[in-house]
Amino acid sequence: MNKLKTKSLLTSTQMILLYVIVAFCLVVGIRQPAFFSPATVITICRAGIFTMCFALCEMVVLISGGIDVSFPAIGCVAMYVPMYIINRVTPIDSALFAFGLAILIGLLFGLLNGFLVSILRLPPLIATLATSSIASGGVVTLLGTREFTTLPDSLQAIYNTNIITYTAPGTGFTYLLNVLFLVPVLACLGVAWMLRYTMLGRGLYAIGGDKNAARVAGFNVRRLQFFAYTFSGVLTGATAMMYTVLMHSSTTSALMGDEMIVIAACVIGGVRITGGHGGVLGVVLGVVLITLVQNNLNMLGIPTSWQTFVVGLIILLGTIITSWQAKRSSHGKA
Amino acid sequence: MKTTKTTPAVPALKKKGLKPDTHITVLLSMMAFVLLLMAVLKPGSYFTISNLRSMIFQFPEYGVLSFGMMICMIAGGIDLSLVGIMNLSGVAAALIITNMGGTNASIVLGCAVALVVGAICGALNGFIIASLSIPAMLVTLCSLQLYTGLALAITGGPAINNMPDAFKNIANGSIGPIPYVLFIFIAVALGMAFIMNCTVFGNEIYFLGSNARAARYSGINTLRVTVMTHMLSGILGGISGILITSHLNSAKSSNGSTYTLLTLLIIVLGGVHPDGGKGKVMGVTLSVLLLQLIANAFTIMRAPDTFKTFVNGCLLVAALILDVVLEKRAAKKAAKS
Repeated sequence: MNKLKTKSLLTSTQMILLYVIVAFCLVVGIRQPAFFSPATVITICRAGIFTMCFALCEMVVLISGGIDVSFPAIGCVAMYVPMYIINRVTPIDSALFAFGLAILIGLLFGLLNGFLVSILRLPPLIATLATSSIASGGVVTLLGTREFTTLPDSLQAIYNTNIITYTAPGTGFTYLLNVLFLVPVLACLGVAWMLRYTMLGRGLYAIGGDKNAARVAGFNVRRLQFFAYTFSGVLTGATAMMYTVLMHSSTTSALMGDEMIVIAACVIGGVRITGGHGGVLGVVLGVVLITLVQNNLNMLGIPTSWQTFVVGLIILLGTIITSWQAKRSSHGKA
Repeated sequence: MKTTKTTPAVPALKKKGLKPDTHITVLLSMMAFVLLLMAVLKPGSYFTISNLRSMIFQFPEYGVLSFGMMICMIAGGIDLSLVGIMNLSGVAAALIITNMGGTNASIVLGCAVALVVGAICGALNGFIIASLSIPAMLVTLCSLQLYTGLALAITGGPAINNMPDAFKNIANGSIGPIPYVLFIFIAVALGMAFIMNCTVFGNEIYFLGSNARAARYSGINTLRVTVMTHMLSGILGGISGILITSHLNSAKSSNGSTYTLLTLLIIVLGGVHPDGGKGKVMGVTLSVLLLQLIANAFTIMRAPDTFKTFVNGCLLVAALILDVVLEKRAAKKAAKS
């Protein structure tokens, strides 16, 4: 594998992604010279926080050979229930409580997914679809569909803490980068370390590549699958609460439909949907590309109603190119 | 092709015998249970002609869609883009009909275009899946976004309304007390049963689903079968696009967004194996009816819509668990004999 990497360093998935990102930036920059400024970097970083965290969840599950389409629903429950309790039951003004409860909810649904997939051996796509409708149907039936837009003081304090403040010289607009940006950065480093240097990470690749071979080699397949889905649930819970803090909004449908973009970011970043392949670097680049495209299509003069189509087209092309590459490299090996 | 399908095609073939299918017995008894429960709880409002008619007006839309999902899953894939195909072809039909002044000729042309659009979308899915061997789940997830986006781009956001009466009649009219849509649904179900049981193509779909590699080595053109399977699924998507546009008198990109989960639930409940190779038209038809009975029971009990979503999710898990249990028992029996 290492030999293959050095041989085709310039045509690896990551490098191709990098070329595409640079090309896209150049095209946008030529049309809109204002694009090249620190403000753009801050905007992209801000916009990519949630996609990045969700992409890490999805990546871990995909590498283990599964798929998780339930995280938007789980995230909505995890952001809605704590805010519901704070706003309508007892005003607990504690960031620890909000994040703790969100993570706990994510953990519980992650365990449910893990149970369905690893113990009952249901197909991951259908099992997580079912979890998704149980989560969103259940919470709406029990708690209704309200929208909470005011944060308690402790969460507001997090919202007001910025690590970078940049004021554009020309316009006087101020661009802020919130402290929560550190969460995806740390999570990326942590996941990269886990995947590369721990038995847990190697085991995830092993069961994603070939479950039976992994079992024979002594990996506990069930426990590893359980871990993947639980990890995804926990990080989803935390990310959902971050969404509430940064967006000042908590609804039961805020994240619905995100699975599409997140899975696409992973696949474009070189994670194979059949499992066993992929890494954090590729996913980061995939998220950067998708966020860039989503945020800058109107700069290219594409009308709003066409944007879903163009994003879909780019995702489909990205998928085709990466799959074609995977096919070619596996032919080369054989 | 994540799970290697080493099970040969024998079970699928054996099931075609005259032996009563356990799955169909389970479905029938579940239907009887729902009917009995409603007979006890709400005898006055459930068993009425008007309620029966309102049920028949509802299920053909997603019933037809379920057959599309069914053949893709039997062939070992899945079609998550069906709702996108449905809306895109509905928008295409609505656009032609409203722009040509709503004459009868324009309605025929509009419906034909809807079917062609469905066929093209499906064939594109199938071609990408088979020629590049990308998992069907991934391709159709991407193309869902593509087709939905195209429908959104064509309409520019707002729905296309004000269909002519003749077009609205397709899904809302009836001959005597029997709605037209029931005939459409029966025709589609019979057509699918014929294709799956009596044609070479049907057998090739089962074979491809139970063991793709064996199918290729035994001389089946897997590319052609996959493209045709998805094309047929796309045509069925087109039919339900016509039905839903006519039923709601509006075409837009976000109609019927809950149908993906619903159709998956229907076919898994109807005995289609998520790994492919197994499943019957009869089971899926019964499962469509069962789900409509349950949905209608909820409406009459005045349960909120979201509760339906919750129960559907639970039912899906229950159906899958039942499948696993039945399979294990069958395997034990086979080991004993």
